[in-house]
Amino acid sequence: MEVVRNAFDFSDFPKTDLLVVGCGLLFLLFFPLLPHSTFAMATMIQFLMFSLYGMGWNTIGGYGGQVDLGKAQYVGIGAYTTAVMLIRWDVPFWVSMPAGVMFSVTWSFIIGYPLFRLTGHYFAIATIATSLVLKDVFEVWDFVGAARGLEILATKYDAVDFTHLIFENDNYYYYILLAFFLLGILIINWFRHSRLGYQLRCIKDNELIAQSLGIDVHKSKVKTYALATAFVSVVGSFHACYIKNIEPEDTMSLDLSILIALMAMLGGAGSLWGPIIGAGILIPLKSYLKEWLGASAGLVGIDLILYALIIMVVSAVEPRGVWGLIEKIRARRT
Amino acid sequence: MTPLLRVERMTKTFDALVANREVSFQVNQGDLFGIIGPNGAGKTTLFNCIAGRYAPTSGRIFFDNRDVTSLSAHQMARLGLARTFQVYAASGDLTVLENVMVGCFLRTRSRFKARQRASEILEEFGLADLADTLLVEVPVAYQKLVTAATAVATRPKLLLLDEVAAGLNPTEVEQIMAMIRHINQNRGITVILIEHVMTLVMNLCHRIMVLDSGEKIAEGPPEEVAALPAVIKAYLGERYVQTQLGGQ
Amino acid sequence: MDILISSLVAGLLIGSVFALVALGLTIIFGVMDIVNFAHGEFLMIGMYTGILTVQVTGLDPLFSLPVALAVGFALGLLCYVGFVKYLLRGPMVAQLLGTFGLMLFLRNLVLLIFGSEDRGIHTGILVGKSLDLGMGVIIPATKLAAAVLSVLSFVAVYVFIHKTKLGKALQATALNRQAARYMGIPAERMNALAWGIGGATVTAAGALLVNFWSASPYVGLLFTMIAFAIVALGGFGSIPGAFFAALVVGLITEIPGIWDFFTYTFDNDWMADVPMNSFKYTGVYLTYFIIMVVRPRGLFGWKL
Repeated sequence: MEVVRNAFDFSDFPKTDLLVVGCGLLFLLFFPLLPHSTFAMATMIQFLMFSLYGMGWNTIGGYGGQVDLGKAQYVGIGAYTTAVMLIRWDVPFWVSMPAGVMFSVTWSFIIGYPLFRLTGHYFAIATIATSLVLKDVFEVWDFVGAARGLEILATKYDAVDFTHLIFENDNYYYYILLAFFLLGILIINWFRHSRLGYQLRCIKDNELIAQSLGIDVHKSKVKTYALATAFVSVVGSFHACYIKNIEPEDTMSLDLSILIALMAMLGGAGSLWGPIIGAGILIPLKSYLKEWLGASAGLVGIDLILYALIIMVVSAVEPRGVWGLIEKIRARRT
Repeated sequence: MTPLLRVERMTKTFDALVANREVSFQVNQGDLFGIIGPNGAGKTTLFNCIAGRYAPTSGRIFFDNRDVTSLSAHQMARLGLARTFQVYAASGDLTVLENVMVGCFLRTRSRFKARQRASEILEEFGLADLADTLLVEVPVAYQKLVTAATAVATRPKLLLLDEVAAGLNPTEVEQIMAMIRHINQNRGITVILIEHVMTLVMNLCHRIMVLDSGEKIAEGPPEEVAALPAVIKAYLGERYVQTQLGGQ
Repeated sequence: MDILISSLVAGLLIGSVFALVALGLTIIFGVMDIVNFAHGEFLMIGMYTGILTVQVTGLDPLFSLPVALAVGFALGLLCYVGFVKYLLRGPMVAQLLGTFGLMLFLRNLVLLIFGSEDRGIHTGILVGKSLDLGMGVIIPATKLAAAVLSVLSFVAVYVFIHKTKLGKALQATALNRQAARYMGIPAERMNALAWGIGGATVTAAGALLVNFWSASPYVGLLFTMIAFAIVALGGFGSIPGAFFAALVVGLITEIPGIWDFFTYTFDNDWMADVPMNSFKYTGVYLTYFIIMVVRPRGLFGWKL
């Protein structure tokens, strides 16, 4: 099976990288056993979630170079599907999650088909537009709670409920998400080695040449967009069970879309570890800045100002992100 | 002598500008066919129409006994038509090997097969040393070789080369000529090339066609065509005068 | 009937202001092919400039227009020289990311200084006055003044670009950057000028809007999207296109009123049930999407 072989093939990374990754994995595996605050736990879960969002975005945005700023709509579709099915019909997570993916991917085909006739800025703005339209619809749609949103009552379920994915202890969420995270890395590693992955990188390089090499550019983009969507939708479903309180403003806002794109771009778009590095830097920074500066010092907004400054500096100095910086340093050494 | 490509009275206009007017010609299996003409004669537009980037305004194009007039670029590539571009604006992060692999991926899904075939092609083109270099960092002359190698990797029946020798020094032109001859003779790929470098055209091509202001003005073996008064006036004459004035 | 006419008039009035909002975006895009996501944030700053001018000087809100123009010009220039210039070397992704950073920065800077509550101006000679057109159509004087001043500013910029030497240099840069450079036009300075004018016009629009539209740090995005829709509809880089497209978009934002009119006229229960007011700006987003997919050159575009 070449798919499996591709998924587990990390041979193009130097040994030091793999060592760092191994240490990181060990840390992630044993983190809940180490002494930690609930705040640290919540931050770690956010980190894993945003790594996954970023990985999804990275397929179309990083490898394909199509800057998608509307990913939040799929977080919303995933989250709402799971929440609605759970609240109304008591559907297990493991059924509603694939259902959410199905809805998201269907929607991604519907809007992806016209969307990918656009490129560059025009594409980016159009993705924002579609996302905002969907958000407007969810804000008045009574079936899904309109602007009030939905709330999952945890008390209705057992303390440890694996079928509905409702837990009292965050450690359970953590390990389930970690499993998704590891699976996500393998899927992206497969994608990177797949024909589609190579074709997408060629498209990013030059669409005319891609076409001349027999690549159906439009179809490849739509396919990859669907893959990216599936990633985001799964995490959206998880988000519903974990946060238990969803409203359009949280799950479908432009800020979330930007944050998703940012993870990958800051870490290094178009590289396997980029989104993880990005989330590893941005999420703790955001959480703790807010905790220290925003909440305790009363300086609302200063965390985001620092945040914005980082984005501005990165985009002006090293647009390929942290990974680009690492590669630059390596190239200089040899 | 089976015809591989047949263009019938093809016209392409952009608004008021007529880029190609009623151009007809035929290229046989195994041919090495040259297209020459002054700048702006509509040579690249002709390529773009054949390769499916533009739809011709009127006329028809047959490739391998099929009417391909309305097919798009990627469909043409699948049918066995490969091409190079005058300007290769590579900006990305693909290495030479990966570039050629993308070409190989047209005929296989497997990365391992693609990698192996790509390595073989690089070996064949004498580019094996550059395999892991980023294409953007490769010298221009080699970039052209790489793009040709990538095109060959799609296993085409017909290869369109657009000014591959432009801007190269005589040694590099020799290298390119050897490569084209190799593609044509050893790989059995029919080649159509657009070229301004006359030594290359005169030495390589079996037949050439001359375009001027979008119209075909001559076709035949290189020596005969070069002797035609109309051609000298339209193309060689202009060049000749320029060299006499020391303009080149 | 009065609802219909009121809606149409209101749409055209707000559309005139929108024209000024979109003008800067289309100029910046025309000159340097960069999309500024912080555009709405400039407008938001214009709103606060208007509020501050009134509070500090005690003058009538109408006088805040020149202040806003100056602030906007300086801000646009500063953003270009201090930041955007460096983005131009990078790929498109970096430009998107960078102007997004700028957007977050400006938004949260204002949040830090002024807090998140809505603010507005409720003083001035025009407040409370209105123009009665008959048939129940009443136009508030603040809106009328804003529309008139917007159109005047718009025309002024248009004349500047088409009649002055500097404006023509700007146009030349937009048409063909390389050729303009060979003609001795300093492209770098033209970029800065475009950002200055772009900033000034949109900030001025903010100062005009704040007389009847409450300001908050989060108001920017909506206007960025409105400006994008207008520029897409009018054709990226086209100035006259932006004006007519802005009127169209102004009318689109008044669809709820028009909807109400038809609901009453037909006495239709189904139509009455649709919460059209919640979709006030959905039409704007849809306009962008549909126009880009169907006719990406816009209605009057000459450059893409």
